[in-house]
Amino acid sequence: MAQVIANGVYLGAQYALIALGLTLIFALMNVLNFAHGQMYVLGGFITYTAYGQLGLPFIVALLASGVTLGVIGALIEKLLFRTVIRRSVREESTMLLAAAVAYFLDAVILLLFGEKQRGVPKIVNGVFVSDALIMPYDRLLIGALAVLFIGAFMLFMQFSKPGRAMRALAQDRVAAQLMGVRVDRYSMIGFALGAMLAGVVGGLLVAITGVNSGIGGPISIKAFLMVMIGGAGVVGGAIAGGFILGMIESVGLSVLHAYGDITYLVIFAALMVFLSIRPNGLMGKPWG
Amino acid sequence: MSTRRMATKAIALVAASILAVIAGEISQAEAANKELKIGFVGVTSGPAAAWGTSNVRSMQTRAAWLNETGGVKIGDTTYDINIVSFDDQKDPKRAIAGMEKMAQEGIHYVVGPNVDDGAAAVRPVAEKAGIIYFPYAFPKELYVTPASNAVLGMIASYQSGPAIYKYLKDKRGVKTVAFVAANESDPLSQRDSGVAAAKALGLQVVAEKDTYQNDTRDFTPVLTPIVKLKPDLLVLSGVAPANAPLLIRAARELGYKGLISTETAQDAKVLQEGAGELANGFISVGGASTPEIRSPAMNEFIDRYTKMFGEYNDESNTKVYALEYILETLKANPKAIDNVEEFKRTMDSFSAPNPFMIGDNKLRYVGSTSFGQKRQVAVPMVVNEYSDGKFKTLFVGEVD
Amino acid sequence: MSSTSKLFSALAFLLVTLVAVPWLITVTRRLDLYYTLTSVALLAIASGGVWLTFYIGRINIGQAAFALMGGYVSAILVVTYGVPFWLTLPLAGLFCAVASILIGLPILRLRGVYFAMVTLVLTEVARLLALALPVTNGAKGLVNIPLPGSTTLFGVTLIPDFATLANPRLTFYLISVVLMVICYAGLYRLVHSRVGRLCLSLQQNEELASSIGVNVAYLRVVIYAVSSLLGGLGGAMFVAISQSIYPSSFTITDSINFMLNCFLGGLGYVFGPILGTFLLYFGWDLLFQTGRLQLLIFSSVLIALMLILPNGLLSLRLFRRSKG
Repeated sequence: MAQVIANGVYLGAQYALIALGLTLIFALMNVLNFAHGQMYVLGGFITYTAYGQLGLPFIVALLASGVTLGVIGALIEKLLFRTVIRRSVREESTMLLAAAVAYFLDAVILLLFGEKQRGVPKIVNGVFVSDALIMPYDRLLIGALAVLFIGAFMLFMQFSKPGRAMRALAQDRVAAQLMGVRVDRYSMIGFALGAMLAGVVGGLLVAITGVNSGIGGPISIKAFLMVMIGGAGVVGGAIAGGFILGMIESVGLSVLHAYGDITYLVIFAALMVFLSIRPNGLMGKPWG
Repeated sequence: MSTRRMATKAIALVAASILAVIAGEISQAEAANKELKIGFVGVTSGPAAAWGTSNVRSMQTRAAWLNETGGVKIGDTTYDINIVSFDDQKDPKRAIAGMEKMAQEGIHYVVGPNVDDGAAAVRPVAEKAGIIYFPYAFPKELYVTPASNAVLGMIASYQSGPAIYKYLKDKRGVKTVAFVAANESDPLSQRDSGVAAAKALGLQVVAEKDTYQNDTRDFTPVLTPIVKLKPDLLVLSGVAPANAPLLIRAARELGYKGLISTETAQDAKVLQEGAGELANGFISVGGASTPEIRSPAMNEFIDRYTKMFGEYNDESNTKVYALEYILETLKANPKAIDNVEEFKRTMDSFSAPNPFMIGDNKLRYVGSTSFGQKRQVAVPMVVNEYSDGKFKTLFVGEVD
Repeated sequence: MSSTSKLFSALAFLLVTLVAVPWLITVTRRLDLYYTLTSVALLAIASGGVWLTFYIGRINIGQAAFALMGGYVSAILVVTYGVPFWLTLPLAGLFCAVASILIGLPILRLRGVYFAMVTLVLTEVARLLALALPVTNGAKGLVNIPLPGSTTLFGVTLIPDFATLANPRLTFYLISVVLMVICYAGLYRLVHSRVGRLCLSLQQNEELASSIGVNVAYLRVVIYAVSSLLGGLGGAMFVAISQSIYPSSFTITDSINFMLNCFLGGLGYVFGPILGTFLLYFGWDLLFQTGRLQLLIFSSVLIALMLILPNGLLSLRLFRRSKG
């Protein structure tokens, strides 16, 4: 059982980090970023190239992923989303734009990096083995890094000036604007930060699961699920959602092992029931 | 007003670029020989892009090679081969559209689709339009009469599975088997046939219901309960090349000591990058895959492929064959060039040397045992074992 | 638009799609376009359902679930019980409508992205159910489904037996277009009725609508049922064409595409989904010559369209009118 719980925690940590960027963008701009998974994949490929191919240190590669995606995110917000949000009658229209951006990134990634699954050499060798628990050291390290990044992000949102500004924006856009928050600027910073998180987690996980050009879409959808469980647009909700989904998968796969074929059916059906009972997730703000 | 001008400009730009691309396509076709179009309908984008991509690239490489050396002589006419490809995005509805496109282009021989649902969906169109197609999908309904236009382009899991299990049972003392598959049609069907084959051999199946979503990236939770059962053999049914290294790595890191195998073709580079030395001993199936059995022509094919696309894909060891079969059969019976009934007649007796394998291996149509008619290409069933970045031949089998 | 000009444009549309298009196809020998256009018509029917849920302010990413359900209902009835296909078509629609009432009652309480997500999950649940249920033949799908037979009414053959037709593609096309026209006529009627105006009030503010006496819960379930009925019809027709159905015949990708069709056409226009479906589906097909660059060009065009016309293609008309 210890193994199952450890699996769940590790899975949850990476899920939570994936979900954070998505929920941030949603909180600030009410944009459901379909391209989140593609940004994750792009980050993964950048780390793959820098660490796996060019032989740079892993941390440098990770940094490269984060910075590149941050810049791309800022550009996407400034050039695309800002225009469309300003001019569209119903804000859901941004979903089509987000999907188009997702397709675009998919195409670019496929052309640049090919169709094959890619991986990098292990960053740490060895496996931690005890009676109840087996955990490779690289997983422990990546898990710890993920938790560290989550912590850093929360501190940033809590105490830094941009963090406070973004929280104000998320709470009430108009009020924040009236209080002198520069909405455009912080929307862009927020989008960049969200994209950066996607890039960093993509880079981080290359060390464990590698990366391939087609997984962007499925990752986005999984990230949506986590965000919904926790509650859309709330940082705490994304983290909770990530850990809960990780734990459900880990425990569900073990408990329902004998009925394997229907494990995911049960998980998804339970999710529907849960959302029907709690229409705003665990701690989400009601959609206005 | 400026928006409107911008709109006009943008539309003009888009239109111009599309025209440029189409014009480029047309001008590429050289007028030296007559052109023979061979189609491809399969998946070259999205999560399963690797399957179709290795397919279409094999065809393009071989076509370019043939054209460079003067084309293909069928009957009295020499043809340049032109590969027309259609990306069905793994959607059966698109696959139908793709087959319609092929019919429209006047194509009678098509490679693909890559998955069960697509192959089943294109059947009505192919039969109506007189197209022979070579799916990489295993449902027997496609190949058993009354169906007659589909030719299985590889070895089915229900053919290679029993051979592998028997070998492992006899040579490696395997007694217990566990299966794990993605919860999608193709892998689940392959798992079911694998389970049946293992049971028929008297192996004890300890896990046969474990599935994973195809978007899974971390397989530790999936494998934890299976590894606990300590099976002698873990079969990854219908595993996608992208997932194979992840599954292997997760199982090994959980302390799994037994054998791991699959019935689908894999890529050595992907295994090496994704699982490193943990993938040693992994057993899979390929065509003319291992250096021991490759002919010089196969080596040249690999070189040309690598030159054209930057990197070889070992899945092409199997996928190189379909085009070769089409062309060789047409050579054997030139009348078949626009008449698939002639093609079908030739299939029963067709035989030609296999250029990709050393020895006197033959290209011929098989499948009588499985389908009651010859609707399968005789790809050598090379069962190989991964070892430090390369595949080693375990044994070479045949299908009849 | 006055009612005469409405009638005129409807007739013009029918004339173009039922006479001019087949004529053009025959002249140009582009027979493959029949299937493409048939697909557009059928996908537009399903997209119309999604559009209707948008009309009551819900983002629906679950239509593929009902298309799959409709497809399976029709396939099972035809294969296992030998029911004539043309009878299974309305049955498939009705089955989906009833199922959607049961599903809709709890989940329609959700709004915004939550509803979007729960319907997305529904799509996956439908796929997994199709894999798990014995009646669907699981992973192996249902194949070798016979073509639709003939239908006669008072001795007059309405629809001939497909197996005997030289060109079933044309017949499929004509039937699909007629089905689409009927569905959209119904949609148009619904939207411009009293119920339609009530729906609009739901879109703007459910609480307010409820406070002035609109039976919100009832109305949205009815609308959702109509929406799912359209999904079921589209799915069932597709099965007749492909003569096979698998759990993966309609997936999350389809659900998302149905939604995108609506966005592209314009959420404010009943006929938006037809145009959106046409462009998204046909556009992809047209680009097939471009090979590796297909997705790149396709997505670039989409982004450009979104920048130029963020309110959908049909907003162009409004724009022109307001400028003079």
